[in-house]
Amino acid sequence: MTESDELLDRILTTLREPVYLDPGLTDRVMATIATDPALRPVAAIPRPRWWQRRWTISLSPLGGLAAAACLTGIVGASMWARSRSAVSGPTVAGTSPTIAGVATPPTQFVLVAPAARVVSVVGDFNDWNLAATPLAREAGGGVWWVTVPLTPGRYRYAFVVDGTMWRPDPDAPAAPDEFGRPNSVVTIGGL
Amino acid sequence: MGYLRVGIVTSVFVLIAALLLMAAAPLAAQEPRLAKRLPEPALGQVDAILDAARAGRLPTEPLIDRALEGIAKGAPPALIVAAVNRLRDELTAARTAFGEVASVAELVAGASALRAGARSKDLAELRSLRQSQSLTVAVAVLADLVVAGVPADAATGAVLALASEAADADYVSFRRDVQRDIAQGASPAAALGVRLRTALELAAAPAGNQGTRGGRRRQKP
Repeated sequence: MTESDELLDRILTTLREPVYLDPGLTDRVMATIATDPALRPVAAIPRPRWWQRRWTISLSPLGGLAAAACLTGIVGASMWARSRSAVSGPTVAGTSPTIAGVATPPTQFVLVAPAARVVSVVGDFNDWNLAATPLAREAGGGVWWVTVPLTPGRYRYAFVVDGTMWRPDPDAPAAPDEFGRPNSVVTIGGL
Repeated sequence: MGYLRVGIVTSVFVLIAALLLMAAAPLAAQEPRLAKRLPEPALGQVDAILDAARAGRLPTEPLIDRALEGIAKGAPPALIVAAVNRLRDELTAARTAFGEVASVAELVAGASALRAGARSKDLAELRSLRQSQSLTVAVAVLADLVVAGVPADAATGAVLALASEAADADYVSFRRDVQRDIAQGASPAAALGVRLRTALELAAAPAGNQGTRGGRRRQKP
């Protein structure tokens, strides 16, 4: 071992020895700082509140896609709901026949068509869907009928015989038609 | 290097997701009942009319019904767009006449009356005469009478003359009587005049001679 090694060992030994400070030193230092304005720590920058802090969001590629899919679903659902509601129109046949707590009697549609094989009624109350409201044939006769609950309103409609022949209701007022097929109209009062 | 690659991949996925979102938005704005049944560009044009109606707080259901009617009847798309647009204009005019509180049923009936030839100022007068009652049936009867052949001015005058006294059932009976007379060969103007005179006499007669029940006048047999 050289002389310099011994010197280095002594220095390291000295440095490894624990240093014992006066137990009251910290309190005295802090008290001095508290009383001396020049030594007071800068407190002008407040800690940002939670809504001012920067957030870091970590997403995996799969997580990002899932989040985008959720967002797309929410936007799509809200726009679909908006398109359906806005100001609601006539209630589709088959739903509650009451409005504002007032019951409305069902409306009966009748057509005499002895030669018909199939008869349906289409109109503003069933999205003009040929399959939505078929008429029943009275046994032993050519009378076709169906009962539809309608809320108050004015509805254009027509009968469709055998899927192709459009016929107005002979017992109801006619309605102007813009599409080349005859219409009838029924008005349910109350609103 | 690995972090850089992951960052690029994430950015690409986020970009794709954003593009999907942007593509989905216009699809969601379309009316689902029309989406697969009306071709472009008519579908876009009808959707634009519906959007304008929503922005103007008009009911969209009657407009959708009109488009569905055209589709069911196999009408050309351009004709469907024109019909929906015309109905939107009529609904707007009806709401101007009836005010913001008008129900959907009143607006639809009002649009029918305007189509038949009634004037906006007449509908507004009807509103003022029947402030606490629904206008749906009265206005619908006006439209029905005109379609049955009664001149628009005469039909409007009759409906206004009955406005302060008649219940909905009275209007329906009045319309049915006029139409029956016309079907039997009477001239529309003559049928209207006779039935209106009868209705007004009933309204002016003492209560005991009207067959009144439940606050409503009963129609003569």
